[in-house]
Amino acid sequence: MTVVLVADDDADIRDLVAFKLEQAGLEVITAEDGQQAVEQARAHRPTLAVLDVSMPALSGIDVCRMLRADPATAGMLIIMLTARVQEQDVEGGFSAGADDYVTKPFSPRELISRIQALLTRTRA
Amino acid sequence: MSPPTSVARLLTRAFAVLALLIVVSGLSGAGTALVQHQTVEQLTDHVLPLQLQNAELRAAMSDGQRGLRGYLLSGDPTLLGNYYSAHADYKTSADDLRGMATGGEGVAIEAQLDRAEAWWAVAERQRQVLPRSDEAARFVDQGSALFLAFESANTGLDTALGDRADRLRDRSETLGVGTTAALVALTLAAALVAALTAVRTTRRITGPLGRLVTVLDDLGRGRYGRRAPTGDGPVEIRAVAAAVNNLAEQADRVRREEEEIARLRGEIRVLNTRVRQHLAVDSAMQEAATGLVATLGAEHAVLRIAAAADAPKMVTRHSAAGAAGSLDALACADIAWLGEHDLWLTADATDVNAVDVGDPVPDPEAAGWRAAGAGPVLTVAVTNGDTRLGALTLLRAAGRPGWSPVEIRLAESVAGDLGRGLHHARLFEQEQRLVAQLKELDSVKTDFMSTVSHELRTPLTSIAGYVEMLRDEDAGEVTPAQGRMLDVIKRNTTRLRALIEDLLILSRIEAGTFRTRRQTVDLAAIAGTVAAEAAEAAAKTGVTLTVDLAGPLPVDADKEQLDRVVEGLLSNAVKFAPGGTVTVTGRADAGEVVLCVADTGMGVPDAEQGQLFSRFFRATNAIHLAIPGTGLGLAIVRTIVENHDGTIEMTSAENDGTTVTVRLPLAGDRVAA
Repeated sequence: MTVVLVADDDADIRDLVAFKLEQAGLEVITAEDGQQAVEQARAHRPTLAVLDVSMPALSGIDVCRMLRADPATAGMLIIMLTARVQEQDVEGGFSAGADDYVTKPFSPRELISRIQALLTRTRA
Repeated sequence: MSPPTSVARLLTRAFAVLALLIVVSGLSGAGTALVQHQTVEQLTDHVLPLQLQNAELRAAMSDGQRGLRGYLLSGDPTLLGNYYSAHADYKTSADDLRGMATGGEGVAIEAQLDRAEAWWAVAERQRQVLPRSDEAARFVDQGSALFLAFESANTGLDTALGDRADRLRDRSETLGVGTTAALVALTLAAALVAALTAVRTTRRITGPLGRLVTVLDDLGRGRYGRRAPTGDGPVEIRAVAAAVNNLAEQADRVRREEEEIARLRGEIRVLNTRVRQHLAVDSAMQEAATGLVATLGAEHAVLRIAAAADAPKMVTRHSAAGAAGSLDALACADIAWLGEHDLWLTADATDVNAVDVGDPVPDPEAAGWRAAGAGPVLTVAVTNGDTRLGALTLLRAAGRPGWSPVEIRLAESVAGDLGRGLHHARLFEQEQRLVAQLKELDSVKTDFMSTVSHELRTPLTSIAGYVEMLRDEDAGEVTPAQGRMLDVIKRNTTRLRALIEDLLILSRIEAGTFRTRRQTVDLAAIAGTVAAEAAEAAAKTGVTLTVDLAGPLPVDADKEQLDRVVEGLLSNAVKFAPGGTVTVTGRADAGEVVLCVADTGMGVPDAEQGQLFSRFFRATNAIHLAIPGTGLGLAIVRTIVENHDGTIEMTSAENDGTTVTVRLPLAGDRVAA
């Protein structure tokens, strides 16, 4: 079973993403901040992580960098959720090692299809 | 070189010689004439009449002898009558002769007359004898002898007189020739003296005068080093030469002083320029103090600026290298004592009552002067025209010369410029503070806008996400009524989202944080692409989209932002002209790229056109028709265009349509990307 980590400090968005992922038949684990996200990722080794960029403790970009730096989690798929459209944020995300990014506000439908596309592409 | 004489003496001497010559000449002429006159007079008045009278005497005697002899020979009494007549003549003649005799010839005349008398005595006796008698004959011989004696005496006198007349004539002639010769000689001598005098005058007066004139000419031509020779020519010319030299020296001194003043003025002008260039008060003050010490040759300069409402008290001081004395006391001294005067001047700082100009100074000030070891002290007010800001004090060491009027003027000019500079600097500082406050305020506002917009997104994401899930029936079936309501929520969420996006963009553009990547881009290409993208939306609302782009239209711009401009204008036009026509034209015109977006839509009411580019403004007719919009689109377009040094203008008529014209500078001759 494919495990997806959803890390966002906003519980409503966490629930929304989790609901859609579970509906798509994926197992979801959640984290409320960056620190938790890193711990969860190390503990459960999810296939994919959805990381909000602006989180307390550690930002999504920091988490992404740490996961990429750790050989145990380096191969994880990572999608960034960003509330900013500035290019430097997007570039920051990619340079930290994100596979894709989705800007807020986003359509849940679109997010799920992007996640599924990424999973399918990797499996193939 | 001869000892100096005066022109007067020279001329006097020359004219004295001439006058003497003329007098001598006149006297000698007159003397000769007198002598000549006497000679002629002697000749005509004495010698010649005497000679004549002598001849007459002889004639009378001869007549007497002839008459007597004839009578005695012939006995003719007529002849005896002749004898008597001759005797009478003789007597007259003898008396005349005797009367005319003077000195020398008297003796000769008397001797002659004695002989004549002797003859006459014999003749009387003869006459008494009988004519033609023997006695008569005897007497004839006796008479003849006596007559011969008389004749001889008479002839002797005549000869003597003739000789004397000849001598007199000779003398007269000699005198005449001598006089003429003397006169000629004297005239020649006078002419020679005059000529010599002329030559000497030329040599001794004209020569030195000419040299003096040359020197004056040279001085006039600017050869200020020239001096007249003072050991040349007569006393007067030497005096004039000395006076000329004196004047030249004086002029030299004045000129040097003026040059010094001009140099000082120049330096002060430069100093003033430097002072004015400082916008910061303290550096301007330091510049002024340092410059004044160097330029005006002061030992110390102290600039005290009194505290003002919005500025603290400021003191700047500068001392020349190696200057003795301390400025500490003076720097602390209060300047309130300055009163209403603009100038305080003293040549002797040790005597507080010896202030030449201004009020007597208070003790702290005087103590400050003494501590600085000052002699001459000059204080001028630093004003900005009407308000006294402070004072500039210049101090020279004791014993040094006082402050000249020129130096005072220059110090005042620096103080004046400094005063104005201070005023400007204070204004500038106030302005700087204001600008900083405004910047801070603006940054706070921008941050606020950014934060608010950003923070709004998170809840908006939840709302939009959950509405979408409900609408997708992820949570179960939705009734048609519920569906319509969810659509309303969704539409308003989208609108809110657009509003937040636009706000965010606008705040970023205004804050300058929006990244602009200027490069030469082709506006025709951009407009073409955007128009093609908008074609579908236009077709949906029945809008005919016409594109007429005379590319390439190179502009230096950020491509993304230009995209936004064209997109904003096009979506507006399409939105407000359903079923109408939208025309996009682009062309280059006089160094500008002109992009026009014209529609045949509802237009904007005249009264509202001026507000069209304001934020959140929406035309009333658009609101009535419930056409969606944030009211930020044109504000964003205008901000971007203005950031690119362009202009935007709109012409619109209600119900006829709107034309928006954007002008951007044409990018050089670079090729469009």
